[in-house]
Amino acid sequence: MNIVVCVKHATDENELQSDESGKPRLNPDARKMSTFDRNAVEAAVRIRDSKGGSITVVSLGDVDCKKTVKEALAMGGDRGVVILSNSHLDALMTSYYLANAIQKIGNPDLILCSEGASDTYVGFLGPMLAEWLNLPFIGYARDIEITEHTVKCEEQLEDRIETVTANLPAVISVVSEINEPRYTTLLQIIQASKKPIEEITLESLKAPDFPYSQVEVVDVRAETVNRKRIIFEGSPEVTAKKLIAALENEGITT
Amino acid sequence: MILACSEKENLVGEIFSAARDLATQLGCEAALVELDDVKPSIKVNGKIIILKANTRLSSNPELATAAITELAKKSGAQIILFGTTRFGRQVAAQTAVRMRLPALSDTRDLKIEQGKLTGTRMVYGGKFAARISAPLPCIATVQSGSYQNDTDTSSSVETIAVNVPTARTTHLETEHTSKASANLSSAQIIVSVGRGFKTKEDLAMAEELAKIMEGMVGCSRPLASDLGWLSEDQHIGLTGIHVHPNLYVAVGISGQLQHTAGIRNSKIIVAINNDKQAPIFQIADYGIIGDLYQVIPELTKLLTSNNQSSAGKQ
Repeated sequence: MNIVVCVKHATDENELQSDESGKPRLNPDARKMSTFDRNAVEAAVRIRDSKGGSITVVSLGDVDCKKTVKEALAMGGDRGVVILSNSHLDALMTSYYLANAIQKIGNPDLILCSEGASDTYVGFLGPMLAEWLNLPFIGYARDIEITEHTVKCEEQLEDRIETVTANLPAVISVVSEINEPRYTTLLQIIQASKKPIEEITLESLKAPDFPYSQVEVVDVRAETVNRKRIIFEGSPEVTAKKLIAALENEGITT
Repeated sequence: MILACSEKENLVGEIFSAARDLATQLGCEAALVELDDVKPSIKVNGKIIILKANTRLSSNPELATAAITELAKKSGAQIILFGTTRFGRQVAAQTAVRMRLPALSDTRDLKIEQGKLTGTRMVYGGKFAARISAPLPCIATVQSGSYQNDTDTSSSVETIAVNVPTARTTHLETEHTSKASANLSSAQIIVSVGRGFKTKEDLAMAEELAKIMEGMVGCSRPLASDLGWLSEDQHIGLTGIHVHPNLYVAVGISGQLQHTAGIRNSKIIVAINNDKQAPIFQIADYGIIGDLYQVIPELTKLLTSNNQSSAGKQ
């Protein structure tokens, strides 16, 4: 079973602060593997461990995304591929290049990703990859069951769970409930540094036949938090009474 | 032509109203696209196109993609809008690839600016809002809660037969998990529960409080997804539903970005938590630091007696 898992070196939203004008103070060093990608890597490792084969970790971004690839290798990936790009690419373009790189890598049986990146949460990558590669797509999987040539998943949708099956190869996006990602040990991190990471450039991949990255980020501003932050402490009787009085003052009638 | 499509009945009105706004700006027509049949409650002030095939298009996002792509090409659609649901996101993404069109994800306040479709979306766990744009033609998924429902009778209904290839995935079974009686994204009062509840049975307290407040019950991700105590369509947050009630009461919810991303547009936020340091208090208008197991019954008791006494006065 040859597995490709896609990971993003994402901005750590918990660390991100804004400057005086409300713009984010983006710090290239305050990035980490996109939270939900850990679940995709974990899923890949578990499948590889039970079915055999190998895991290729693929990431697109600047040279720092190797840090995230290394982490995925420490979690159990076998080798890494980094597609180097310093410019902002939209989902269509990112998925296009990732799909091209995946084709170049060989013919994987399974391509895994998360439902969306923890920093931007666009959520288009999985279905777009499947479309570029002309493969079946199963989204929001909370369970993956592999038999010889097929895969069966439970898709977790808003109001239902759908059991879906497809022939391999297939593209699957996972939800974070699928597993509990492992923590890496120092030894695993050291061992991971010996695993190969191949660098490829955008130029070495087939040029797209459609206009370059058309989704533009016009502006990014901090969401203003304008809350009263009035705190009641004390006995339940007193605090409950105060809260109800405050809500009545706000004109909220229950 | 602007096309709007959602498989989810309660999003259709909003999406169509977004489509109609844009059509007015562009001076073109907007049409609601329905898959298979018109859903019974649908009321839109405009044209409806029903796409029909020899298989149920709404049963598989891949089939919906094939059908909508065919219609979009034929009709020369300038903008195609979808609902922000897991189904809608897949159809939007795959239609974008098939048509080589740029796609905006989870946007609100859509406008045509300098000839481009421009919208706002939440980024970095809801701490920031990004204004993004794409030239026409393009695709966007629309965040619910950002438009008024369109409610009128449609001007015309047209049925178009489409041919779709066999899907690459097979749906074996559907298990309906929804426990929510209505749509949380349009609720005016929400009592939302989190990890502070020790057992599923204890949620009855919150349900009772919600009932007396004439509100609905929502939850943070772990309660729906990990524990399965509530259904996924009650899960409020970055990866779940975004809500905008008059009153949001977060009970036993610590307030991680993952959750607060979905509640920022609430008018009043109340937090009840025994942990003074819980981040939820930072974005709350009113907070009670206390044990929810004591505070909730007390609130319910007081509100019940208030209701009774005001009923007595009448």
